[in-house]
Order: sequence, then C-alpha cells, then structure tokens
Amino acid sequence: MLRIPCPFCGVRDEIEFRYRGDASVARPAAQADASEFFRYVYERANPLGWHAEWWLHVGGCRQLLRLERHTLTHEIRAVAVAAAAEPAR
Amino acid sequence: MPGPARIAQGLLTDPRRPVSFRFDGRQLSGLAGDTLASALLASGRLLAGRSFKYHRPRGIVTAGPEEPCALVDLLTAAGREPNRLATTLPLSEGLRAESQNRWPSLRCDVLALNGALSAFLPAGFYYKTFMRPGWAWERLFEPLIRRAAGLGRLEAIVGRHAEPAEIVHDHADVLVVGAGSAGLAAALHLAGLGLRVLLSEQDSVLGGGTLLDPRWHAWRAHALGVLQRLPQLRALTRTCILGAYGQGVFGALERLEADESARFGGQRERLRVIRARRVLFACGATERLIAFANNDRPGVMLAGAALAYLRRYGVAVGERCAFFVNNDEAYEALFALRAAGVRVVGVVDRRAVSLAADRAAAAGVPVFRDSVVETVRGRARVRAVGFAQVSGGPRRHLVADALLVSGGHTPNAALATQLGAPLHWEAAIAGFVPALSPGLGALAGAARGEGGLAACAADGVRAARLLALELQAGAPPTADAQPFPPDERQTPLLALWDASKGPRGKAFVDLQNDVTVSDVHLAHREGYEHLEHMKRYTTHGMATDQGRIGGLLGAGVLAAARGVHISAVGQLKPRPYAQAVPFAALAGPEVREHYKPKRRLPLHAWHERAGATFVSTGLWLRPLVYGDAAGWEPVLAEARHVRRAVGITDVSTLGKLEVRGPDAARFLDFIYANTFSTLAVGRARYGIMLREDGMMMDDGTTSRLAADQFLVTTTTANASAVLEHMEFQLQANCPGLDVVLSDVTDQWAQFAVAGPRAREVVAAAVSGIELSNAGFPFMAAAAMELAGIPGRIFRISFSGELAYELAVPARQAETAWCALLAAGQPCQLRPYGLDALNTLRIEKGHITGAELNGNTTPADLGFARMLKAHGDFVGRHLAARPGLQAEERLQLVGVRCLSDARLRNGMHLLEGTAVGPGLGYITSSTPATADGRWLGLALLSGGRGRIGETLRASSPVHAESVPVRIVSPHMLDPENTRVRA
Amino acid sequence: MSAPSPDAGVRQGRWPAQVLEIAALRGAGSALAQCAHRLGEALPGPGEVRASAPRVSLCVRPQRWLLLQPAEGPEAAARAHAWQEGCGGLAAAIDMSSALSVLLLSGRPAREMLARGCRLDLHPQVFRPGMAASTLLAQVPVTLAALPGGLLLLSPSSTAQHLGEWLEATARPFGEPGTLDIEALFSGETATRYP
Ligand SMILES: [Zn+2]
Repeated sequence: MLRIPCPFCGVRDEIEFRYRGDASVARPAAQADASEFFRYVYERANPLGWHAEWWLHVGGCRQLLRLERHTLTHEIRAVAVAAAAEPAR
Repeated sequence: MPGPARIAQGLLTDPRRPVSFRFDGRQLSGLAGDTLASALLASGRLLAGRSFKYHRPRGIVTAGPEEPCALVDLLTAAGREPNRLATTLPLSEGLRAESQNRWPSLRCDVLALNGALSAFLPAGFYYKTFMRPGWAWERLFEPLIRRAAGLGRLEAIVGRHAEPAEIVHDHADVLVVGAGSAGLAAALHLAGLGLRVLLSEQDSVLGGGTLLDPRWHAWRAHALGVLQRLPQLRALTRTCILGAYGQGVFGALERLEADESARFGGQRERLRVIRARRVLFACGATERLIAFANNDRPGVMLAGAALAYLRRYGVAVGERCAFFVNNDEAYEALFALRAAGVRVVGVVDRRAVSLAADRAAAAGVPVFRDSVVETVRGRARVRAVGFAQVSGGPRRHLVADALLVSGGHTPNAALATQLGAPLHWEAAIAGFVPALSPGLGALAGAARGEGGLAACAADGVRAARLLALELQAGAPPTADAQPFPPDERQTPLLALWDASKGPRGKAFVDLQNDVTVSDVHLAHREGYEHLEHMKRYTTHGMATDQGRIGGLLGAGVLAAARGVHISAVGQLKPRPYAQAVPFAALAGPEVREHYKPKRRLPLHAWHERAGATFVSTGLWLRPLVYGDAAGWEPVLAEARHVRRAVGITDVSTLGKLEVRGPDAARFLDFIYANTFSTLAVGRARYGIMLREDGMMMDDGTTSRLAADQFLVTTTTANASAVLEHMEFQLQANCPGLDVVLSDVTDQWAQFAVAGPRAREVVAAAVSGIELSNAGFPFMAAAAMELAGIPGRIFRISFSGELAYELAVPARQAETAWCALLAAGQPCQLRPYGLDALNTLRIEKGHITGAELNGNTTPADLGFARMLKAHGDFVGRHLAARPGLQAEERLQLVGVRCLSDARLRNGMHLLEGTAVGPGLGYITSSTPATADGRWLGLALLSGGRGRIGETLRASSPVHAESVPVRIVSPHMLDPENTRVRA
Repeated sequence: MSAPSPDAGVRQGRWPAQVLEIAALRGAGSALAQCAHRLGEALPGPGEVRASAPRVSLCVRPQRWLLLQPAEGPEAAARAHAWQEGCGGLAAAIDMSSALSVLLLSGRPAREMLARGCRLDLHPQVFRPGMAASTLLAQVPVTLAALPGGLLLLSPSSTAQHLGEWLEATARPFGEPGTLDIEALFSGETATRYP
C-alpha cells in the first residue's frame, strides 16, 4: 500500500486516490498529428527508477497531484498539485 | 511411566482454576493460563500429531509461535478450524481439539507405513512422478498422497459464517515489535519522550525473556507499572505483526481475549492496519534445532521451550532430561530444571570449552564435551540418546525421556527483510542480522544479535534514543530507570547445523514439511544449489512455520554440500503472513450485504411501500418493477401503459454535475465531441463524450441554465468515472480555464413523466411555466415550481414518448412525487421500473452500458455526424484513425425476432448455417410493447449495410437458434413525432 | 438533559442543516474574503472548521467552503440569496442541503469506533477541535470536522442510511448508545478515549 503525501490533505492511504496515468507525457497541441496523439496515448517508457505519475485525490480534496514514484522502492517524492486554479496551501 | 508432568507453580497458571478440555475425544484437565500444549504436557501427553509426509509421530517441540509440529484442529460451534498451534492456543473451558493427519487414530496410524515407503518419497518426488506417465501415478501414488499428505482438514462452511470481523486502523510515531527486555525498555523510553508508541507482542503477556528469569521479575513489574501511566503508550498483547508493507504500513492480527470477544459479539480476531513513522524491531531471536538422526521423536524439544514450560506453566517436560547444545544460554534450562527437582542425565556439548558447562559439571551434571548426539532411540517417545565424541570413538547412550536441544539463536529478521533490509553474517551468534535503512526504523536486542537480557535492554534504549533523535522528540525523560540485573559471562557458541552421520535414520531440517538432510543433499546433487531453488525443490521452509527453527539448518547443510561458508548461501526470506490468518479476519466486516455500500434513492421508502422489487445497479438500489409477479408480463404492462397513456419513473440515479464559471462552455466543448458553446440558455442538448483513444466514454443531456452555468447528466453507471475524467482533464489539460465542477447527483431527485398524456399530468402539477409545444419545445429546460418546491424541468425523453424530467431537491422528493401522482390520477399515471424503462429505450434505439462497452466508437453507434469539425476535444485525433472507420467494424443495428422464440443478450449473429463466432452479437433485448415479439439492439459487422438481411441469433449454451431480421436501431417512431408532439 | 456518564457509549444525532457550497472562481482571492466579510461570514483556512452557534463553516478543498446552518427559518433562504447576489462574480454558491447529510457523533469511544472504518489518525491530539478533513469512512466519502463537543460528519445523502447502519452496528460494543443534538457540539467538552 502506498501512502501519498497530499499537499492539501496530508499523508493519505492509496485507497483515497485514483491513478490517472503517466505524467511524463503531455497532451500534444490541438494541431498535432495523429501519430503524436498515438504516442501520447499508447507509448510508455516503463522505467526502472523514478516515474512521474498523476494521482487524483478522489477521497480527499479532489485535486490532481503530479508526483514521482520510484518503481522499485515505491518511494514517493516531488508531490505537486497540477491544478490550474488557485495554488493550494 | 516417566514423562512430562506439572511439578511447580507457573507464572501464568492459576492452580485454583482447573479447566477441562477434550483432546482427540478424551476428557483432560488443565489450569487457567495454560496453553493447549502446556495442558497436554501437564497431563503427561507428548504425542501431538503425525507428520506431513511420513506420518511419523510428533510431539511438542517449542513453547511458542515457532512450533512446527503441534498443529491441531480446533472444533468450535462455528465449525472446524484447522492448523491452530497448540503452543499458543489458550486453554478455555470446554475447548475441543483434535490432532491432525492421523488415520484412524493418533496412536495407531496405519499410514505410518509411509515411513517404510519413504525411499519412494524423496524430495522432488512430486515433480518426478508427474513427469513419468503411467499406471503408477493414478493407481498408487495419487490415492496415497491424497490420503497421506497435508495437515489440517478444511471443512466446507455451510450456511452463514456469522462471526463478526473488523479491521482497525492504527497510527503511531513508533511501532515497537516485541515486548521483551529490549522492546519494553525502548517503548518506555520513547513514550517518556512524549512520542506515541504502539507496542505489539504476540505473547499473551508482556515481558518476553524477562518472564523466564526470576531476577528480572521486579524490573518487569516496574516497567509494566510505568507503562500503565503513559497514555501515549499502547501495548497490544496476542498481536502478531503479519507483514511489513513499506511506507510505515504493517498488518497485524490480534486474538481477542474471552471477555473482549464476548463484548464484540463473538469476534475472535481483529485485523489491524498500523501506520507508523518509524518501526523498532525488538522481535527477538528464535532458538534453532540441530539435525541428527530421529531428531523429530516426541520428547525432542528445544531447550528454551523446556525452560518456558517450567517457568510459565510449572510443567517439567520430562523426568530424565538430556541436553544437546552448542551454546551457554541453553544451560539456563538445565539449571532451572535441576532446581525444580528434575533429573538431568547429561549434557552433550559440541564445544570443548564452556563456562556454563563448567558450572554444570561442578554441580554434578555429567557433561560430555566435544561431543554430538548421533541418534535417538524410541518411536513414540524418546527412550535413549546415542552420542559420541566428534573426533570419533564409541557411541555411548543416555537413558532419557526428553532430549533438550539448542543450536543457538537466529535473529527474527523476516519483517526487516520485507522492508528490503540486507542480511549480514554475525559469527558471534552464527546467524544473519538485518541492517535496516535509516529513516525506516531500527533493530534492537536479540533481533540485532545481542545476547543477554541486560544487553538487550540497553540496546533497546540505544535504539530508542536514535529514533527519538530522528523524530525530533522532546527532552530526555526524567531518570526513573530501574537498573538492569547484570548478564552472566558466557562462552561463545560454536556453529553446528548437522550432526547426522550418513543416511541411517532421518535427520530433519524442517519438521513441518518433513524435509531431511538427505533431501537437501539430493537437491544439491540435482543442481539446485541456490538456497531459493533448494527451498522450492525440497519445500524446506515453505510450511506455515516458515522454517523458523530449522531454516538456517537447511542453509548450513547446503553450504557444506557446496563447500562454501554459510554466509555465501544466505537465509530464506519469509513473506507475509507471519502466521496463518483466517480469511474471515482478512475480509473484515465488508462481506455479504456489507460488501459494498448501498446507495438509496430519496424515494426508496416510497418505492418499498409501493411493492417494488429492487435491483442493484452499481451501488444503487433501484425499483426494477412494481409488484412481485415474475416474468415479463408486469414489465410489459408498465411499458405499454407509458406507450398508451402516461407513466412516471425515478431517474434520480443519473449522474448530475454542475459546470460553472466563465469558461464553462469552452470546457464542455473540449470534453464533448459535439458543441455546447452554441447552446442557448434554457435549452438542453444530447452530448457524447470520448476517451482520448477515440472510444465512446459516456452520453447524456446537458442543459444550459445560465450563460456560465451548465447541468451535465451522465449515465448512472459512469457518473463517478465522468466526474473524475472531467476533473483530470480540467486540472491536467486545461490549466487556463476558469471552471468549477460540483457533483450534485445526490442534491436532486429527478423523475421522468413519459407518455402521450405527459403534458396533461405535468401541466396540472407544476407552476411557473407554460408547457405548450411552442412555449416549451422538445429539448427545452427551465426553472419551475412543483407543489411549491422550486425545481427544474427538462423536456427530454429516453422512452421515445412525449416526456418531461422534473428535478427537485432530494429532501422534498416525496412531496413532489406524490403531488405528481395526485395530478396524474385523472390520466391514470402509473409508476414504472427499470425493466420497463429498458424496454422503452431499446425500442427507441437508445444506448446504455451494454453498447457503451469501451470498444465502440461514435461511428459504430451512428454518431459520426455529431463530431464537431473544428476545435480540439478529447478523443478527436484518435477517433479519426483509419482503422476505426473500417466498414466491417461492429455497428449498432436493431434486430427483430421472426419467430415467437426469445432473444438473449450475448446471442451470436450468424449467416445461414455458419458456425463459429459469427458476425456480431445482441447487446440488449426485450419483448416488444406492441406484440410481445422479441427485439433488440446488436453490434454487427458492417451492420448498417446489412439492414433488411435475415440472420440467425444463436446461443449454443442454450441450444437456441432463432431467425432475426436486421433493422435500423430506431425501431419506434424514427421521425421523432411522438417526442415532439 | 442530564449529563451522560463518562462510561456511556457513542452518542449520535442528525442535523438537518442547510449546506451551501462556495466555490471560488479564478482570481477571486482577497475580494472573496472581503465579500464574505461583508456578508458576516468567515471563510476558514484549509483543513479548518469554525463553529459559532448556530453556524458552522469548514474548508476541506482548496478554495471551497461548506457553510452550514439550521435548515429551518428565514435565514436559510436569505443566506443562499445573499451569496448569489453579493459574490456572484467571485464564487459559485451551490445548494448542497439535499446532497449532504449531517451526522453528529460524541462520547468517549466515538473516535475509537471510527478507527474501524476510517483511515485518518483521529487521535484527539492530532485531529483537534477546529480541524476538518475529507476522507473515506466505511467505504463512503465523508467530511469530518472536530467541534468542541464532538464530531460533525457529512456524507452523501444516498449513502447516509448505509453509514447510519454502519455507525449503529459498529458502536454496539462500545457501551450504551445515546442521542445528541447540534447544540451539544457547539459547547461543552467531551472526554475522548482513544486507544
Ligand atoms: Zn488531497
């Protein structure tokens, strides 16, 4: 079980979060071609080591977090709120 | 007959409170405070079971959770609970237990002839036999194994397994595992600094080794007194840490004492999930066995266990005790037994030099130095011990009824290794010690390789100081420390794993799985040189005891076979769980009707009173049909009434999201494949939403309530997924948009009034709105009042009829609903359930979850023209992939049955007499309201080009094959004249 | 009402409150705070709850507040209206009175009982009066707020019955249950036992 430190809510159990995928890929611009979207949707690096991920805190503040998780040790670092809106505390 | 007996007052037993129990049907008596094992020994019984593979008689070997042999079935009112350890099972009045793996009885076990057959049952036997096809497996080995192998008996649980269970969540600054001298000293120190400490101890009492040494009783009593005064220190006894899961999370199983169990309705265990900032492993060390021939005979026991039975329960494990040791600690049992009046017939010590041996010799005990035990005589119990000098010489014998063995102590490293701690060899104790990364916690005491209670206690304080520093705890505690009774000087041990001589007589390294020294040798000869390979080949360490007392022996034997030092071989790494855990405890309270929460409609009570049959859809309970008559007739009656007159149904389960803010319209344009920025205030529009891969995600109507305020509805099934999708898209991909999302699903009760007379009903009930077709046309949305309740009205239809949906705050749902029913009485307004709603929508060709199955594109479902030509939206680019435009893709069509037979969801559609997977399948089906003939929706390869064709709908599992005509999915009123009426 | 004995079990109640969700729009910032001040409302900081009889306000999501007051009476309608009129361009004011059920809990074993279904650390020195948090309880989303006299618990109304049944069953081993109303939470200190 992961314990994820939410910048707003504090450290919470994994069950409160929904994994929203790889945060190292960015949605291409609207005018990008299909192959760029193909890479965005399907191609994944599967690294051994640090991996940027999206986690939505559905059981708490409902903010989308971008964090780095070590795929070997599950250590979590660099947790930040993705939100556009007002910065969290 | 000599044998074990109760000879003294035990620390835990109460001589004034006898407890009667039954073992294998025989009435026996013990004392309150006994374990089943101590009570059996006190009754003179040694034999506890038969072994796993060879059916050899087995006794009690240990006094704790490391026990490999004394496993019993516990018989309770709830059923048979297998594989309980007699050594930890508290004795209670009326307890009934049975020994395991014997047939027909423990004393006379026919299958002991397995021992004679053992030449055919070497390690790897299963693999080899499986590889050799032929008569031998089927006729000889399989029946034999089925009868012979295994431990406890699992009985099918018939009826409700009604005992309650719970999972408790715990938090602490420091979890201290183990309450021996190290754990107690550390816990008191940490709590004294103001830290929140959770002290877990699997024993029924706190104290660990201090319980066995009278010099420590005063210290222990003082420590427990201090502990009671520290509110930030919680001590849990009978609590086993099952596993370490990283990030400070630990699982634990607590066995409840009788009175607490009664308070919790008969609950026996409690699963705990512990979250701690740091862990302190003070979980001690486990005494290990030595391999020699017949080292499994009843009466062969660990020396520490003999000491525990004497101190804790006043039980002497034998009348004439012999010892076989390689270390000084084991002599404590010798001196204690002698002091209690038990005869010690001799000590066989592997070492030439020992301070403890000198003291024993001085006290008149025969000491045989530089010697090892080679074999044990006796079958059902130890009768004599054969030993010899290591350097050779004749074998000599000691007549004894108990042989107390100690091969040293192995630090309990399982939990630390689960946290990734590497192991390093510590020659002074001949054992592996884990090294925990800083930041996770620390180790202390015997778990870290310390010896002696005072050294362990001091080490506990050292580790506590370290953790307190890391956690930046307050000032050091006031000097309240009780001095530690000093440890005695000791001679170091001499590593010893295997004293067996050649193949005669089985020398066990794993008593529970019947693994012998020669099995390890065989594994090595056959190439399984790695410890983990040897483990899997021989099953060494794979039993429920996880090789606690013999695990290192196997590694030692393997090291000798390989000709390397044991430090190069390593030690087995046990995984969670540390002990057998009942499934009921793992499942916790979330079983059966509590498996998942139930969501109830605001009108749930009304539907109940109206006699609705309910159905679970996701978490919701929804009325399926009113009345309890079975079959399609009541459903069709409800649906026909809607087609002919008017019906009302509860659609409050629809997901409802408010999207507000200056950029709300732009956001919806990005989320939906069609356009919402052009939607006028007061209008609703059907929308489709794609995933980024171009597949359909959800559909529903969205209404514009104000320029910067939309109300989105989603399908019931996808409500939370759609909200999460929108939240993700808004926060990840639309950082510039000023939009607020609010889930108002539970705020609004929503009812659909549908049928040709819907307008009459609604007009009679609502105010503040003009309902003429021109004034409030199809897809209009407005505010209204219903029975004085402010709400909203939408002219949308899921049934294909003239329909309105009315929404009111859920608290006023019943008032509003009843007002509608009253207003509808002249029109014979009747409620309809989910089944009728489904019939109506299938006839109209509306899709739901069966068609929105994650594999369908807008083009597949006939929505290709809804995709906006300009502007970005989720799924736009990948929906345009050429492969998704292929004509042979499965496309939505309608099917009409050409006979009176029924259709089924999932029926395959086939051409002519073809067999196989077919061209597609039926997704939804229903009898038609008009004539009761079946129709449905289907996904059919190239479906739109096949309209008018006749195919076969086939269900091979039902042996059904029905002719169907392929039609447009809009099987009712394709021009939409009814909904626009 | 006589004071319950300290060994009494969990006390439970319901508060049919008006619940107003205030969700700030972009850049509302200090203007919203001033607007709230004009309306006589306090917007607590992140993870905080403020209780001043008969009103409760709390913040468990960034830039969002839940404002609670008794549902009955003219003040309820006036409050929603005042927000919509007064702060319309700064925040959305959304009526959640029917969406959220408000449950009340007190009694010495209340927090110990909640540890059977709540993963938050509810130790009285950790989750202190004045603190609020959103989490899961018995598998359903809840918002917890610690008031001087006990805990306030908001849950979606569709799962309120499930949660009520769970609370009742879970409280059973913890002694004689009792009842509770909102006034008791605004004042009075309740001893809390925490394992
Ligand atoms: Zn959060």
